[in-house]
Amino acid sequence: MKKVFVVLSVLVLAAAIAGCAQQHKTTPTAPTTTPTKTTPAKTTTQQVVLIGDGATFPWPQITNWIDVYMKEHPNVKIEYNGGGSGKGQADFAAGVVDFAGSDPPLKKSLWDKLVNHPPAEGKGPLQFPDIIGAVVVCYNVPGVKHLRLDGKTLADIFMGKIKYWDNEEIKKLNPGVNLPHKEIIVIHRSDASGTTDIFTTYLCLVSPEWNSTIGAGKVVNWPVDKMGRGVGGKGNPGVVAELKNTPYSICYTELSYAIKENLKIVALKNKDGYFVLPNATTIKAAASHVSMYIAPPTAGYKENLRQLLNAPGKDSYPIVAFSHLLVWKHYSDPVKGKAVHAFIKWILTQGQNDKYIVPGYVGLPSSITQKVLSEAGI
Amino acid sequence: MSKEERYIDTFKYFLLPFCLFVFGLFALMLAVYFSASIPIFQHEGIKIYTTNIWRASENPNKEFYGVLAAIYGSVYTSVLAILIALPLSVSFAVFVIDYAPQKVKEPLIVATDVMAGLPTIIYGIWGAFVLVPLLKKYVMDPLYAYLSFIPLFSFKPVTGYSYFSAGVLLGIMVTPFASAIIREAYRSLPFMYREAIYSLGATRYEATKILIKEIKPAIVAGLLLAFGRAIGETVAVSLVIGNTFNISPSLFAPGYTISSLIANQFGNAFIYKYMVSALFAAGLSLFFIGLAVNILGILILRRYGHVR
Amino acid sequence: MSDNLNIRILKEKLFLICIGILTIATVFPLFHIMYSIIANGLPVLIKGGWSFLTGTLAPPGDGLGGIGPAIVGTFILTALASLIGLPVAVLTGIYAAEYPNSLIGRATRTLLMIMMEFPTILVGLFVMNLVVLPMGSYSAIAGALSLAIIMMPYVAVYTDEALKSIPPKYREGAFALGLTRAKVVFKVLIGLARKGIMTGVLIGIAKVAGETAPLLFTAGGASRVYFDGLNRPIGAIPLLIYNLVQQPYTNYHEIAWGASLLLMIIFLGLFLPIRLSLKEVKL
Repeated sequence: MKKVFVVLSVLVLAAAIAGCAQQHKTTPTAPTTTPTKTTPAKTTTQQVVLIGDGATFPWPQITNWIDVYMKEHPNVKIEYNGGGSGKGQADFAAGVVDFAGSDPPLKKSLWDKLVNHPPAEGKGPLQFPDIIGAVVVCYNVPGVKHLRLDGKTLADIFMGKIKYWDNEEIKKLNPGVNLPHKEIIVIHRSDASGTTDIFTTYLCLVSPEWNSTIGAGKVVNWPVDKMGRGVGGKGNPGVVAELKNTPYSICYTELSYAIKENLKIVALKNKDGYFVLPNATTIKAAASHVSMYIAPPTAGYKENLRQLLNAPGKDSYPIVAFSHLLVWKHYSDPVKGKAVHAFIKWILTQGQNDKYIVPGYVGLPSSITQKVLSEAGI
Repeated sequence: MSKEERYIDTFKYFLLPFCLFVFGLFALMLAVYFSASIPIFQHEGIKIYTTNIWRASENPNKEFYGVLAAIYGSVYTSVLAILIALPLSVSFAVFVIDYAPQKVKEPLIVATDVMAGLPTIIYGIWGAFVLVPLLKKYVMDPLYAYLSFIPLFSFKPVTGYSYFSAGVLLGIMVTPFASAIIREAYRSLPFMYREAIYSLGATRYEATKILIKEIKPAIVAGLLLAFGRAIGETVAVSLVIGNTFNISPSLFAPGYTISSLIANQFGNAFIYKYMVSALFAAGLSLFFIGLAVNILGILILRRYGHVR
Repeated sequence: MSDNLNIRILKEKLFLICIGILTIATVFPLFHIMYSIIANGLPVLIKGGWSFLTGTLAPPGDGLGGIGPAIVGTFILTALASLIGLPVAVLTGIYAAEYPNSLIGRATRTLLMIMMEFPTILVGLFVMNLVVLPMGSYSAIAGALSLAIIMMPYVAVYTDEALKSIPPKYREGAFALGLTRAKVVFKVLIGLARKGIMTGVLIGIAKVAGETAPLLFTAGGASRVYFDGLNRPIGAIPLLIYNLVQQPYTNYHEIAWGASLLLMIIFLGLFLPIRLSLKEVKL
């Protein structure tokens, strides 16, 4: 008995002491350094830990940035859990994370809540685009290698109206492809997801029927579920895992996952009638064909998710979107605030350098990053 | 014992706060679940429990949640689990007490005790990566191929994640637990019974049949408590249930359980006005189902003197 | 008559075969689980080496890295949960044992049994609402509190039973020396019941070290940061496994298997010695 208590108390004591020591390091005691604007975090010596959560759409990219950034700034430790855009927004609003990732820009209702009822963590929400990515449609159909679809057919498949792979509509778009007579299994997200929001918004644009019966959102009611041909996966990783395990299935996910996992990607018909595969060129083409309006970071809800979708142009891939980061302008812990802002600045400057961009994403034009940084005033 | 009442027992008053703290904690838990559920009851009333709709929206007027599919899935999978646990746990108890050679008796019991305590996430990873593919290949696919005219098997096993997979996994997990209770009751039957039965010339089969009848209450209680465990299990189930809002009689259909619904949706619930409340209401139903089943099980054990 | 007997003997044989098979079916999964975990996890531990235990999580699709933060987290969470839960649990157990016939004593025993069976996810949600939201962060302390609530009934029930199993003569003798009840309990009975209480403590620890559900919305998880204070998020091995299993990356699945083997070793290391030194345990 005694022994156990001794062992336990030693363990706990050690933990507590470690905690206190760590605490002292993080508490904002006299600012030892005055970081200059150009090389912010490098000069600080305090150990800072930043916690983020949110979108899985940019998760591979954000983890890469974190790895590089942590190597350059050994005093900063960053965690980013891919819990989905919904969880990111929720955690950010509840103040349980220091920054969050969200694909769709925040809705006005949530933005107002953040402005008027901020958590103790910080105040003054700021929203930045951080990367451009593409939602791609992947399929797992043994024997089929090159699949082409248009928006309406895609909507019909995800609505459950097209039941078999050898449906006439699909055949028409894929002459010469030997499509099997197998039921189509539709894999979608089970959590509140920005990827779903982007994808369903696109389907609304290309299919009036989808628009009127199902609509767009982070969570939608999938009619295929009721038909027994729908499967839910958690996060983009969950969806990709399901697709790999399930023959004759189709899903939507972020391009980088498709590349990393070597998935077969559908060539989608764009607004001008060309079938395009998603890649850096076609994503850039889509971005260049619209005059991008980026809302000031202080009024993030004004941004329109639809602006990059179904873009005109011969080479434009139709489902392209920004992913966003959420931070506070003022943190109750100034040391943390400085570190978060430094990290954001790094992402929007050096981070956009091609060597740090993970395949499947496209960096932001510097005109945009400069604009949002100056507007944010951090 | 009654003597202690005559003087003021300071020791009792020293201990009492700790006891009351535990009660307070439990009461607080109930209170938190109730109060957090109120908004959804005001929003849609009892429909939260009677419909199968999951409509999240930034516009609170459009939000609507019905967790019937999850309640259905919880009950369905837990019933499957105890259907599996019943023959296994009774046979195990009988075999270990009456028939097992002394050498294997103890290792067998230790093995089930290890199973009862094994971290559930270990069942989860094994279930998701090993059990489900096996079940799909050797049980679900053949049954569907040949017997799909029976409604129970009429659903095409797509991923293998289904009520069936969850039920089997839960069955494996709760069997050791049920069998421990049944075993204790069976062991504690007076030796006279056995002697009397054998003296009548009964075979061992006939003897066991009679003895089993004697411990029926313990079997019921063991299965009730096992049901309580199964319905509360979260991570292992959420990895194999498929997480789809679905109400299907077919074993091979994917579904949801209350706990896996909470595990999957709670993280993103705060951006919606009513989803948090809806999930607490789902939790409240789990609270009561669990409470009812456990109290009943414990009462039966007490009543028949099989208190553990 | 002899036909009848033959049938009876046949039935008997069938019966024996049946329960034999069902008994094997009961324990077979355990061996399959252990085999799967070792077959998949051991190569990972060997390949990952020491750095698998100390390093941080690898990027998706690239190497094994390590699960150091999760291991540290599990130890801190378990220790902290013991610190919070044990005193209350032991004292509650003493109450239940000392005043078994009082209303509160009986109610306590029932409550403890109910709490042992209580769905753990509900505890997690409760603590999330009570601690995480007001505090504004997932935290080690919130995770430990959840685990403490789950650990409490085990320790209390074991304490209760250990005290009750002491032959009354010790208690009578101690009282006869004129000791107060507090002294009787703490100086004499606790000493005699120490093995039973310790068993409860260890079982409680073994139980919560493997818990996942109560940590989902309380601990927050960490895979790159070892420890950042009690009021900040922390990792745990089961939580890490749960998250990795749901990823599509092969290397993450490998890490999950490796972590599972480690978790199983920790559990068996705690549990087997207790189990083998006793006749029976409650789980």
